[in-house]
Amino acid sequence: MIHSLFNHQDKNNFELLYNMLLDTIPSSVLMIDEKLHVISVNRNFLVKSQRSNANTVGLPLSEVFPSVILENTGIEERIRNAFRSGTPVNGQKMTYRAPGVPIRTYYYSILPISPNQLMLLMEDITEQVRLSEEVRRVERHLASVVESASDILLSTDIEGRILTWNSAAEKLSGLNSHEVHGQYFFEFCDTNQKQAVRLIFMRMKHSSESHTTEFHLLTPKNSGSILISWVFSPMKDDYGQTVGTVVVGRDLAERRKLELQLRQSQKLTALGVMAGGIAHEIRNPLAVCCSAAQFLLEDTITAEFHKECSRKIQTNIQKASAIIENLLRFARSSLDTEMAEVNLIAVLKETIELVTNQAKVQKIQILLPMQKTHILVSGVSGLLQQVFMNVFLNAINAMPEGGVLSISVETFEDRVIVRIADTGVGIPVGQLDKIFDPFHTSSPVGQGTGLGLSICYSIIQQHLGSIQAESRYGEGATIIITLPRL
Amino acid sequence: MNRPILIVDDEPDMCWVISHIIQSQGLHVITAYSGEDACFKLMHGEFSFVFLDAKLPDMDGLEVARRASTMVQGRPRVVLVSGYHYYDDPVVRHAIAEGIICGFLAKPFTNKELLNMLNND
Repeated sequence: MIHSLFNHQDKNNFELLYNMLLDTIPSSVLMIDEKLHVISVNRNFLVKSQRSNANTVGLPLSEVFPSVILENTGIEERIRNAFRSGTPVNGQKMTYRAPGVPIRTYYYSILPISPNQLMLLMEDITEQVRLSEEVRRVERHLASVVESASDILLSTDIEGRILTWNSAAEKLSGLNSHEVHGQYFFEFCDTNQKQAVRLIFMRMKHSSESHTTEFHLLTPKNSGSILISWVFSPMKDDYGQTVGTVVVGRDLAERRKLELQLRQSQKLTALGVMAGGIAHEIRNPLAVCCSAAQFLLEDTITAEFHKECSRKIQTNIQKASAIIENLLRFARSSLDTEMAEVNLIAVLKETIELVTNQAKVQKIQILLPMQKTHILVSGVSGLLQQVFMNVFLNAINAMPEGGVLSISVETFEDRVIVRIADTGVGIPVGQLDKIFDPFHTSSPVGQGTGLGLSICYSIIQQHLGSIQAESRYGEGATIIITLPRL
Repeated sequence: MNRPILIVDDEPDMCWVISHIIQSQGLHVITAYSGEDACFKLMHGEFSFVFLDAKLPDMDGLEVARRASTMVQGRPRVVLVSGYHYYDDPVVRHAIAEGIICGFLAKPFTNKELLNMLNND
C-alpha cells in the first residue's frame, strides 16, 4: 500500500505538492462524486468561472454550471454514464460564459477515477478556436481573391500537374477544375508549345525567377484556342524548397485588338514620313521609262538602241514595282500576329531598303557591317520591321543636316543585340527615360504622335526582349534592342 | 553653243536618258554621278548647261547650283531635274528668284520638255 510508505507529515507534503501542481496547470480540473456534487476544484476553474472555493465545493454540478450549458451539452448525463460504465469520455466541446466575461470555448474530458469519484478536465481552447477561425477566414479571403481574379490563376505540383484552377481558368478554357485536376498543364497548351511548356516546368524546379511567355491555351469544348500571356513562378515552401509552380495567365484578345489599331495608325504616320523619299525614288524609274518610250517612237533608231530602250523600260518598271511592294508589305504586315521563326538580318535589310530613299534625300549614309547572314529569333516579322522602321526614321529625323546611321548586330549567349546609332542631335538629359512613354514627342505639334517608341517598346516586350536608349546631347543617340535568340 | 552640257544624277539610267535626248541634238555631254564629282567638273571645264538632280548622295543639288552660280567666268545655266520637288515648290521658286537655277523640270518629263529647256534662252 502506498499510504503506509508515508507518515502523516509526508502525506501532508504530498497533498500540498499535488494541490500546487493542480493549481498550476492551465486547465480546469473538477473532482465530482456519484451524486454529481463537486468534491474539489483547482484554481484555474475558479478564475475562469469567477467563483470562490466556498460557493463551489460541496455544491451540485447544477448549481456550479449555468443551466443552459448543462442542457446543451448533456454533461450530467455523460457523467452518470461514465460512472455506470467506468469508461472515460474524451474531447467534447463546450462553450461557456461566466457572468461578466466573454464567451469561452472548452474541450472537456470525463475521466472516472473510482466508482464514486471522477475527474472533469476542461481545457480552454478559446484562443485556438479564434486562431483557426482566423486562419479559415484568411483562407476564404485568399480563395475568393483567386476566384474573383479575371486572370487565369493555377497552381501545379513540381512536375506540372494541375492542383488548382480558378474560375477565370474555367471560364476561358471551358474546362472545370475537376476535369483538369491532376493532369499535366502542357496537355492544355497549343500542340507546338507542349515541349516548350514542359521545359519551363523543368526550369522552375531549380529557378527562383519567374518566366514570362505567350502561347495559346486550348479550349477543347469549342475545339479552338485563345492567346494568353503567361507568367510562371516557382512556388516555395517555408524552407525555400520549390514545391510547385504558380501560373498566371491573361487573355490577350482585347489588348491585342487595341494594340493592332494603335500600331496600324502609327504605321500610317511612318508612311507619311517616308512619302517624300518614296516619291523621289519612284519618279526616277518613271522618268527613265517615259523617255525611253519616247525614243522608241522615233523612226530612225537602230535595232540595238531599240533593244536597249526596252531593257531600260523593263528594269525600271521592276525597280518602281519593288519599291511599291516593300511599301505594301510594310503597310499590311501588322495583320499577321503569329509568332514564327524569323531571320532578323533579313528583316533588318528589308527595313533598311525602305528607308534608303529617305536617307538619301537627307544625305544620310547607312552603315551595316554584317558578319552573319542568318540570326533566328521567334517573332512576327512585320512587327519587328515596324520597330526598326520607327527607330530608323527617328534617327533620320534627328539628322536634318545629314550624318551616319550605323546598325550593328551581335550575338551574346542566347541573345541578339541590335544597336542603331545616329550622329544626330541626341536626346537631352532628363528625357532619356521618357522617350518610351506614350505621347512623349520632341517633334513640333502635328508632326509626331509620340507613339512610335512606346509602340516599339510594347512590340519588343511582346517578343520578350528589351529596348533601351543611350545618348549624349549633341552627340547622337543609340537605341539598343535585345531579343532572345532561337 | 559649243560648250558641253553637264548632266548630274546619281542614277546611271537617268544620265543615260538625258544624254540620249541631248546627244540627239548633236550636242556634247559629260556626266557626273555625285555632287563632289559635279563640282570638280564645273571647276575644270566650261559648260553651257547643267541638268542637275536635286537629291545627290553626298550633297543637295541646289548646293551644287549655288557653287556654280559663284563662278565668275563662263557661268552655265542650271536646270534642276527632280522627282522630289514640284514646280511651284517654295524651294524651287526661291532658287529661281535668287538666280541660282534658271529652270525646273519635274521627273518624269517628256523629251520635248527637256529640249525646250535648252532652247529657252
